[in-house]
Amino acid sequence: MKKIIPIIIACGTGLTVLAGYFFQDRLAPVLGLLIHWGISLVGLAGLIGIAYLVRMHFFRIARRQKGAFYSVIVLIAFFFTFITGLILTPHNAIYRDWVLNIQVPVEASLLAILSVTLLYASLYLIRTRGWTPMSVGFLVGALVSLILNLAVLQFQPGSMGAVWALFLRRLPLAGLRGILIGMALGGLIVGLRVFLAIDRPYEGE
Amino acid sequence: MTWTQIGWSIIALAAVLLAGFSLLFRRRYQYLVRKNPAVKRLQDQRVIAVERGVGRQVVLGEGLWTHAYPGLGLHALSMLPGMVSPEDSVEGGQVISTGSGALVLFARQIVQGCYQDGFSPGLQERVLPVSLPGPTPLSFSAGLLPDLSTQPPGSLAMFGSFGLSAPLWAEAAQIKGGHVFAAAGSITAQAALFLNVRDLLIGEEVFMLPGLMEPTASNQAGWLTEDILRVSLMALLIVAAILKMAGLL
Repeated sequence: MKKIIPIIIACGTGLTVLAGYFFQDRLAPVLGLLIHWGISLVGLAGLIGIAYLVRMHFFRIARRQKGAFYSVIVLIAFFFTFITGLILTPHNAIYRDWVLNIQVPVEASLLAILSVTLLYASLYLIRTRGWTPMSVGFLVGALVSLILNLAVLQFQPGSMGAVWALFLRRLPLAGLRGILIGMALGGLIVGLRVFLAIDRPYEGE
Repeated sequence: MTWTQIGWSIIALAAVLLAGFSLLFRRRYQYLVRKNPAVKRLQDQRVIAVERGVGRQVVLGEGLWTHAYPGLGLHALSMLPGMVSPEDSVEGGQVISTGSGALVLFARQIVQGCYQDGFSPGLQERVLPVSLPGPTPLSFSAGLLPDLSTQPPGSLAMFGSFGLSAPLWAEAAQIKGGHVFAAAGSITAQAALFLNVRDLLIGEEVFMLPGLMEPTASNQAGWLTEDILRVSLMALLIVAAILKMAGLL
């Protein structure tokens, strides 16, 4: 019984949401209610997650682990932002500016590090993967795509060069769609396995 | 027939095939498991990490559900039972990290579920740590990167939904001599990871991973269903392209 109830709830909810796509007029209120419940639960899970995060940093400080100093900074920043947000609300201009003026430069610096990492990795691609058809194809593809997007090469409309350029521009799109179709099929099977109670993450299985 | 009806027909066909094959494989039949060298290397490196006494880091992604890739969070969770064993709990070197509260809850439940038939109550109490370095993609990276530097893992396995910051995690682990394995992520993450991760699964290969790690009856049923759907879809696309070229469609 302990195992059957979660399965019934999960399958019943899944079936209702699926049926909602077919009978939108009749099931729209139920669907809206379920989605609202889902959002509330995800919000609650987010709060529990933040509690985990805070607890982890408290433990790190209490046990004087490596990097405990950073945990102190994290906790001070967290509680300051949290309490200020509660008092001023996120709509307050000063609070919003204060958060964004920290968040945006940090995000930008992370992206800068990322771009350097990617540049460095692309220079060492052959060393990482060797001379395989995939790595050579990736390098040639990236190079051709860069040249085409630089707009250095201009072709007369309707000429053979323009047709080839269009074909080359469409190639990545075709590959992307192929990968996405594969991932969509995989995602479908994963979802159906939960829906048919073959996989039961809510039971720890 | 509309495109929506075609889509629902594919879903219905997949459900019927999955249910049928699950029953079939549970009784006696088997679907041959294909070998993947990247998965073999991941398993070997995890064993080597245990022998060397260094940590293993498992990343379950930054979110349970995303609009573009809705199945990736669940896929990461379906990977988890294959990544936890009583030895991991006793040895204590494995950390599971996620960037979402919902994933933390599910992951903890799965880990505890894996140990509910453990050897002793003492073992059950020593459940693997599931951590949340940050609840947003940026804060997740900011929290995970110092962990990877201060406690360098011998093996870093990345599953689920993650974005462009994944190459940074990979670089942080590799620079300290750790082995990196990645599966899934967004298309941009897959392209970026291709540059610096040797053992990378892309596209539909990602969803075959649970079966490669742990070839259970349900995983095999999922594989066969996916294979049938993929081959059917390829045949349909080729036929449609030929009909279009012939001017009949």
